[in-house]
Order: sequence, then C-alpha cells, then structure tokens
Amino acid sequence: MSAVTDKMMDVPAVNEHHESIWGKALYKFRRDRTGMLGLGIVLVYFAAALGVWFGIWGTEWSDVEGPKWGAMSAEHWFGTNIIGQDIFQRSLYSTKTAFEIGLIVAVLSTLLGALLGALAGFFSGTWIDAVILWLKGVLDSIPFYLFVAAVAFALKGNPWAMHVAMVSTFWTTTGRLVRGEVIKLRNFEFVEASRAIGVPQLTIIFRHIVPNTFHILLVQATIVFVAAIKSEVILSFLGLGVQDGVSWGLMISESTMEVLAGFFNNFAWASIFLFVLVMAFNMFSDALQDALDPKKVAES
Amino acid sequence: MDVLKYAIRKLVGGIPLILGVTFVSFLLMVYFGPDLTFEMLGKNPTPEQIAEVRKELGYDRPFLVRYAEYLKELATLDFGLSDSSGEPVSAMLLRSIPISLALVTPGFILGNLLGVLLALVAAYHRSGWIDKAIMGFSVVGMSISFLIVIIAFQILLSSSYGLNLFPVRGWNVHSLYDYVMYVTVPTLASVFVALGYNTRFYRAVIVEEMTRDHVRTARAFGIRPGKLLYKHILKNSAIPIITRIMFSIPLVIVSGSLLIESYFGIPGVGKVTFDAITTGDQPVLKAVVGLTAVLFVITLLLTDIMYRAVDPRVSLK
Repeated sequence: MSAVTDKMMDVPAVNEHHESIWGKALYKFRRDRTGMLGLGIVLVYFAAALGVWFGIWGTEWSDVEGPKWGAMSAEHWFGTNIIGQDIFQRSLYSTKTAFEIGLIVAVLSTLLGALLGALAGFFSGTWIDAVILWLKGVLDSIPFYLFVAAVAFALKGNPWAMHVAMVSTFWTTTGRLVRGEVIKLRNFEFVEASRAIGVPQLTIIFRHIVPNTFHILLVQATIVFVAAIKSEVILSFLGLGVQDGVSWGLMISESTMEVLAGFFNNFAWASIFLFVLVMAFNMFSDALQDALDPKKVAES
Repeated sequence: MDVLKYAIRKLVGGIPLILGVTFVSFLLMVYFGPDLTFEMLGKNPTPEQIAEVRKELGYDRPFLVRYAEYLKELATLDFGLSDSSGEPVSAMLLRSIPISLALVTPGFILGNLLGVLLALVAAYHRSGWIDKAIMGFSVVGMSISFLIVIIAFQILLSSSYGLNLFPVRGWNVHSLYDYVMYVTVPTLASVFVALGYNTRFYRAVIVEEMTRDHVRTARAFGIRPGKLLYKHILKNSAIPIITRIMFSIPLVIVSGSLLIESYFGIPGVGKVTFDAITTGDQPVLKAVVGLTAVLFVITLLLTDIMYRAVDPRVSLK
C-alpha cells in the first residue's frame, strides 16, 4: 500500500522540471551562468542593504571625523569626502537607499500595472479599456523629469514625491504587456469554464487570469527596479531625489565639484557601486526573461 | 487627398490626448504648483494687497475657468509674459528651442544610426563572438548612469586631468567651430548611453525578421549579405524602428536634454522648463506643456503616415 502511494507521489515529483513552466524556467535559469552570477551579486548587495537596515554596519555614514578629501587608507577604505565623511560607509549605506527605492517602486508599479493592465485587457473594447489606455497615453506623453519635478513641487517637497512620480509613470509598460497577455488569455477554455460555472468576473480576472501573467510581472519588476535606481541618481542630481539620508545619486552630485578639483574617490566609488548593482540586475533580468519566455520554454 | 483626410481625422482623434496631457500638467504644475503671491509682495502685506496680487495672478478664479482660459491661450498660441523675467514666453521659447535642437540632434542621429548598424552586425553574426561582444558592450552601456557618463567624459575630454580638448561647460556659440567645441562632449555622452538601449532593441527587431522564411529563401538564392541586410531585413523591420525613433522625438526635444543642459549650463528649453517648474513660472510651463502635447499628437500622425510610406500594405483607414 505504502509502496504504491510512494510511487504515485514520486513520479510527478521527479518529472516536475519538465511539467510546469516554472520548473522548466528554474532549470533553465540555473544553467545560465551570467544570470546566476548576476543573481549572486544582487544577493550580496541585498545582504549589505539588510545589514544597514538592521544597523549592523554602515552606521557611521554621517559622522564627520576624517580629514577633508582624505586618501584611501586602512581607516577610511575609500577615503573621505569634502567634509571628511567616510566614503565607504556612505556607499554602503546608499545600498539600503537604493534597495528601498527599487523595491518600493518595482512592487507598487508592478501591482498597478497588473491591476490596470488586467482590467483593460479583460474589458478591452469597452470604456474601461479606453479610459486606461487614455491614461497611459497621457502619462507617456509627459516628459519624465518634468513630471517628477511637477509632482515634487505639487507635494511641497515631500520625500515620497520621487516614488509617487516613478510609480505613476513606470506602470505603463507593465500595463501594456499585461493587457496584451490578458486579451489572449481571456479566450482560453479555462476562462470560459469558470464563466460557465458562474465565477464572479473579478475572481476570474484576479484569481484565474492574472496569475498566468506572473512571468511578465516578474521580469517587468526587475526592469523597473533597475530603472528606479538609475532614475534616482539623475533626480538626486537635479535636487528632486532623496531628501534625507544618502544615496549614490547624492554622492555623485556632491562629487561634481570635487572632480573638477581632482578628487575622484566620491565619484568613483558611488559610480562603481551603482554600476555593479545595475549590471548584475540587468544580467539577472535578461536570464530571467530568457528562462521565462514561453516560446523558448516550449522548445527546450 | 486620402492622406489629408486621414490626417484631419487623426488630429481630431488626438484631442482627448492633448486635453489629458494639458489637464494633468495643469493640475500638477499650475494648480498645485508654487504660489507666487508672497514673492510679488513686499513685507507685511495687507489682506487687500494679497487679494489684489492673487487676482492679478489669477489664483482667485475657479480651477475649471483657469483651465479653460489656458486652453484658449493654447489655441491662440498667446502665452503672455513670463512671471519671473517679464519676457514674452514666445521669445524665450524661440531662443531656447533652437539651442536644444542644435544640442541633441547630432547625438540623436548618431545614436540611432550607429545603433541600427551595430544591431545589423550583431544580428548577422548571431551567437558568434562579434554578437556577444556587441551585446556585452550594450549591457554595459545600459548599466552606466547617464550622469556618470557625462561626468566621466567631462573629466576625460575637457578637464586638465584628461585630454583637456573642449570647454568644461557653457554654450557660447558664435561660429561653427564654437558649435563643434561645445557640442562634442554632450554628444559623445548621449551617444554612449543611447547606443546600449538602441542596439539591444534594434537587434531584437532585426533578429526577429532574420528568422523569417523569406530571408532563408533569399539566402538560399545566394543574395549578397549587404543586399540581404538592407533590402530583405532592414526594410521589413522598418516599422518598429520608425516607431521607436519617432516616439522619442518629443521627449528628446523637451526633457532628453534637461540633464545635459543643467549639467553643462546650456540655456536650452529643458533648462527653461525646469527653472519654470522650480520657480512657478506658470506662463512658461503652460506653453511648454501644451506644445509638448500637441507635438506628441503630430508625431503620432506623422508616424502613421511614415508607416504607409515604408510599407504600402498599411492602409490609412
């Protein structure tokens, strides 16, 4: 008896890689060396960010204790900036800032994109779709930096203005992709079947259709994450970004005066930290995209 | 005639978009924007003086009335005088738009042209080392922040720590030589950044076309690579390429140069608009936002007509 159940339990477990799209994707992703390297680097950064979050390291980022523009030394690994703050501590602390911005913007704009995209797709051809498409068109037509500046001033310099502006513009691509996928999915038999047994419309959309767009959402979330931390740098330079604390963008904009005087530590280290994280995330995101592409999964 | 009819229909269809863009921008920039009342008044103003200034600035009227008036200004292209400099808005725009265009055009053209070329080369050698090198370069290009590229190019090319060939910042153009001197560093920086994204996008488009049956057939007929790439592949992938280029035009004109303009201290339209947002200069904002929206609709229209030009199968109905 038990042998039989074991067999029945075992067989699908062994074959699972080749059964579900996620199993296949995982299998494929694991073999993608660039993607795994990217993921590894992102996890190291994430650990660094968590360490800052729990106050394990990066606690002296605002202390003024070193010399002005100190060189790299055992005490100040990356040197010090114009007022003698430790650049290593600041770069490390900025990792937390970057993850905060990236995660908040990526999660919220993906949720918003999924919600509006699914509604537009499911009700495509109706006024709901028209309104959502119009909204997307409008948001896409306003120049991004000007939009952020306008939101920042409309919110009276609220530190969340940057996040609000990013979320309200970054959902549009996700929304468009989800809409397209939902239009395809809503004609499938499983949707027809759930309609036939009287499942409410919203349940059909959010329980049955949207989970089938998760592969799009996951990839889009990584793309938005990268876009958010890259935009932060430029917005902080323009004075619209991070208001309190420190970020790579603030460090780079501080450094614009220093580089002309010949002190490159602040600029170089902030740039390297930012570049490595963005590069790793891009590699991870590409591999994820390859692994989750339904066409490619079907082939392998 | 058909084209004209189509154009008119398309322009009318663009009205909701213009209304939307202007409404959202008006709401954000003008209604919730900075309040200039107290900047225009002296110390210790009386309530009457406050009321008078608010009336002069139009703050006392209902939102919809102000918005309707703005639409009227937009329709007649008469935006009045700037709040901060007292200069006519049209004069400010006429001065700054050519500067922005002169600044971004070379980079925009080079960035797209080189992007298509590199994408063709990469796609032709798909999965070979040339492809991998080009795509690796493009991921690196995508991963470096624009700001970092600008600063790095400035250090390398126009400071005494590098080659020191070009002016550090500013825009003091009186001759072609000046123009080349001032435009080179910003152009190189924007090409570097644009190439990463462009090459990747165009490669995906071209690879998609390259795997089609007609290309395999053409190859089997022994058509030369140059002709194959141009006639059979590039022409057929023209629609997504045109879409990308056309849609980036309105944004490039208004905000694409904002970062470069503020970093290099160039008085282009991006800088003018940015300053207008930060100082609450409403007439300027209204003009720029309204014109951007109109530009967008015109671009949409031109894009559709260009589809028709490159692909006769597209019908303008």
